[in-house]
Amino acid sequence: MKTRLAILSLIIFLAVLPAFAGKYLLYVTIHILLLSIFSLGFNLLFGYTGLLSFGQAGFYAVGAYGCAKILLAYPSLLAGIIGGVALAGVASLVLGILCIRHTRIYFSMLTLSFGMMIFSLAWKWRDMTGGDDGLVGIPRAPLEIPGLLRLNMAPMENYYYVVLVFSLLAIYLFHRLVHSPLGLTLQGIRDSETRTACVGISVRNYRLVSFTIAGMYAGLAGALLPPLESTVTPPVAHWSFSAEPVLATLLGGIYTFSGPIVGAFLFYVLKDIIVRFTQYWLICLGAIVLVLVLGFRGGVVSIFQGKGGRG
Amino acid sequence: MKEIIRTEGLGKYFGEMAAVHQVNFTLQEGFFTSIIGPNGAGKTTLINLLSGYLLPDAGKIFFRGTEITRMRPEKRVKIGISRSFQVMNIFPRLTVFENILLPVLSRLNKNARPFSSLNSQKEAVEEAERILNEVWLREERDLPAGQLSHGDQRLLELGIAVAANPQLCFLDEPSSGMNPIERIKVLELVKKLSAERKTTLAIVEHDMDVVFSLSDWIVVMNRGEILAEGKPDDIRNNQEVRDIYLGEEI
Repeated sequence: MKTRLAILSLIIFLAVLPAFAGKYLLYVTIHILLLSIFSLGFNLLFGYTGLLSFGQAGFYAVGAYGCAKILLAYPSLLAGIIGGVALAGVASLVLGILCIRHTRIYFSMLTLSFGMMIFSLAWKWRDMTGGDDGLVGIPRAPLEIPGLLRLNMAPMENYYYVVLVFSLLAIYLFHRLVHSPLGLTLQGIRDSETRTACVGISVRNYRLVSFTIAGMYAGLAGALLPPLESTVTPPVAHWSFSAEPVLATLLGGIYTFSGPIVGAFLFYVLKDIIVRFTQYWLICLGAIVLVLVLGFRGGVVSIFQGKGGRG
Repeated sequence: MKEIIRTEGLGKYFGEMAAVHQVNFTLQEGFFTSIIGPNGAGKTTLINLLSGYLLPDAGKIFFRGTEITRMRPEKRVKIGISRSFQVMNIFPRLTVFENILLPVLSRLNKNARPFSSLNSQKEAVEEAERILNEVWLREERDLPAGQLSHGDQRLLELGIAVAANPQLCFLDEPSSGMNPIERIKVLELVKKLSAERKTTLAIVEHDMDVVFSLSDWIVVMNRGEILAEGKPDDIRNNQEVRDIYLGEEI
C-alpha cells in the first residue's frame, strides 16, 4: 500500500513537472527515463537471467540509428520509435542466437565484440550512418495516427510526455513480465541452469527470449534519443556506453525490480553534479560504485528494503 | 511386469577411465530399485546418462521401447523422466514455493506466459501447494530456498524432482550429508512418495539398512560395470557382492 502510494505520487510528480520545470530539467529527466529503460532491459539479462552483457549499447544504437533513418525518410514519430524498437529486436534476436550459446565471461566477451562490431558499422558505413559525423537534422516529427490524432512535438514538454508515456508503459510491462511464469523461468535459469533443464525447460530458448527483450528495451531507449537531440553519433554504440546501464544497475541493486530505475536516477544526478567540479567524474563514480559493491551488494534499494530483499 | 527403461552396451569414458562400461540393464515399472556400489563405481554417471545430463560414448537407451539415447534432458523430463541431484541443486534465490511452482508450470506447459501473474495460474498454484505439503515444507513456503537448513533443502530437492510428476524418477543420494534425524525424515519421505505416487523410483544410496528394507530390486555396480542384480535376498547372499562391497555387515 505504501509502495503504491509512493509510485502514484512519483507518477503525478512526473506528470506535472513541465508546469514548473525549465527546459534543462525536462531534458535531464528525459535522459534519466531513457537510462532507466535501458538499465531495466539490461537487468532482465543480468539480475533475472544471470547473463552479464557488455554490448547493450549496440542495440541502443540500432534503435537510435533506425529511428533516425525512418524519421529522415518519413517524418512520423510513432513510425520512428516502433521501427527502431523492431530493428533492435531483430538485431538482438540474430546476434542473440550466437551469444546465448555461452554463459559467464564467454557470453560477456561475445556481447562486447558484437557491440563493437555495431560500433564499427556506425563509424565506417558512411553512406548509411554518416560515419563520425553521424546523422544530423533529424526532425522531432509530429506524433501522428492518421485520421485520429496529430500532436506537434516541437515544444520540449510535448516530447517529454511522449517519453514519459513510453517509459511508464515499458516499466509497467516489465513489472508484469518479471512477475509472470516467464519471469520465474528466467530466474530459475539464473539460479541453476542444470536444475532448470532438469525440470523440462529449454534453457537456451529462454535465454534467447531474455536477450531479445533486453535488446528491444535498449532499442526503445535508443529510439527515443534522436528526436530529442536531433543527431545520432557513433559514441552511442561504443562499449563505454554499454557500461552505463551496468553501473546504474549496480548502483541501484541487481536483485530488485526498482534497482535499475533508482540507479539510473542516481547515476545521472551524480554525473551531473560531479561533472561541474571535475572532468574526471568517472573516478568519483567508480569509487561510489566500489563502496556500494563492497558494502551493500544489493545496491541502494536493498539498503532501504533490508538486505536480501528481492522486490 | 513391464520394462520402463533399458540400456544396451552403455558406456561413458573420461579419458582412460571407464566410468560406465558395457552396461546392459532394465528397470521394471513399479519396482523400487536401488543402485549400490563403492565410491567411483559409476552410479552417478549412470544416472547422468539416463537423465540426459551426460551423453554416452557407446550404447543405447530405451524408454518404454523408444530410443532416447541422445535426447536432451528437458525433453526427457517432458516424456516422464525426472531426477534429483547428489550435490544440492535447488533455486537458492527463489522462495521455497516458487522452487516447486516452476517445475509444475513447466509440466503444464505454462511457464512461457509473459504477462499473467503467478497467482492467476490456479491449477499450478494448487498443485504446488499440495506438493509443498507432501514434502513437509508448508511453513517455509515464503523463505528464500537458500536460507533453508541442509536437510530441508534435500526435502525441497525431492519436491522439485517429483513436481514434474514423472513416471520414472532417479534420486541420487537423497540423504547425503545429513544428520541421522534428517536422514530418517528424507527416507520416510522417499518411502511415502513411492507408495503414494505412480512413480517408479530408482535411488542411489549408501545406507544398506534403507536399501535392503525399501528395495524390490538391487543393482550392484563396481568399476563402471554391473556386478550383480537381483532381489534383496539374492544380493545379500551373493558372495562376490559381499567381498567387494557389503563386507560382513549384513
